[in-house]
Amino acid sequence: MSVLDQNALDINPRISEAEVGDYIALLKPRVMSLVIFTALVGMAMAPGHFHPVLAFTSLLCIAVGAGASGALNMALEGDIDSKMSRTANRPIPRGRITRPEAMAFGLTLSFFSVMTLGILVNWIAGSLLAFTIFFYVVIYTMGLKRWTAQNIVIGGAAGALPPVVAWAAVTGTVDVEPLLLFAIIFFWTPPHFWALALFRSDDYARAGIPMLPNVAGPDATRLQILLYTIVLIAVAAAPWALGYFDAIYGIVSLILGAGMLVLAINVYVRRERAASLRATRKLFAFSILYLFVLFATLLAEVVFRALAPMVGGA
Amino acid sequence: MITAMADKPETDGIVLTEAQKKSRRQRSIAIALALGVLVVLFFAVTMVKGPAVLVRPM
Repeated sequence: MSVLDQNALDINPRISEAEVGDYIALLKPRVMSLVIFTALVGMAMAPGHFHPVLAFTSLLCIAVGAGASGALNMALEGDIDSKMSRTANRPIPRGRITRPEAMAFGLTLSFFSVMTLGILVNWIAGSLLAFTIFFYVVIYTMGLKRWTAQNIVIGGAAGALPPVVAWAAVTGTVDVEPLLLFAIIFFWTPPHFWALALFRSDDYARAGIPMLPNVAGPDATRLQILLYTIVLIAVAAAPWALGYFDAIYGIVSLILGAGMLVLAINVYVRRERAASLRATRKLFAFSILYLFVLFATLLAEVVFRALAPMVGGA
Repeated sequence: MITAMADKPETDGIVLTEAQKKSRRQRSIAIALALGVLVVLFFAVTMVKGPAVLVRPM
């Protein structure tokens, strides 16, 4: 037997036992669902007729692009995910999928989502989707996340772009309205993630990620949460204040904003360990509801406007 | 040499376990479905756009 034959027998290649569910987990389905919803609102707000098949295609591409970003993020963060209790159950730390497999999966989906959106819908939307993936993977994951405490502030732009991509899919341009949606998600991100970082600060410290509570301390983070919440309330009311939406949206945004403000003040005031933990968890949970209800109100108003002439004419 | 080979049955390459076969089959089906969706998507959009399928902003 030749040396080559012997070496071939000695090699023990890893045969994947990863199931489809493991690959779906790489796509971060919960994040994806929020991306689809915000993109849907951006699409619904856009003027002009958009064929349902094109709308479905656009949303699918945006969803797959977001999922691809998640897969690439997990491929690049396999080392730190295994050190954090929140992420230790992901497919890579569990050994279900290797980092190169996740990387190949993410790159393939990125390519197909961008090209499909560009070819079938338009290249402004395709380019914006490519930029979103690039920003999340290269700027945020590879750069900001391990480098600065402002990681999620700047990185939040990636999560805020889907409504802009969706608007561009319909119109082929970018306008003020989708930028307002962008701004809402952008200013919502810091209070949301810093609340998480406050009650998961041990996790982030173990992984060596410079989140604000670990770098500037919990008190400075509490103040930043409060300040960003105040800005968020003003930005969230802007679609009404600028005349794009009716008073109903304005009232809902202010009521929700008041809820966020109360919880942010609660986080700022309560410094004792147990009470602080409860306050940050409440703010984190409410912030998800806040964004969902705010965007649902925008969607409801758009749908109502579209249906009103039909109901009135009947 | 020939006798020794006849005594010991040789396996060709890597033999997959049942779990590996099952997961590979699942993944193959998922890839086939994804490609099918892609084909249907391109077909549907071509039907919707008609001759204007190549006319896009930018």
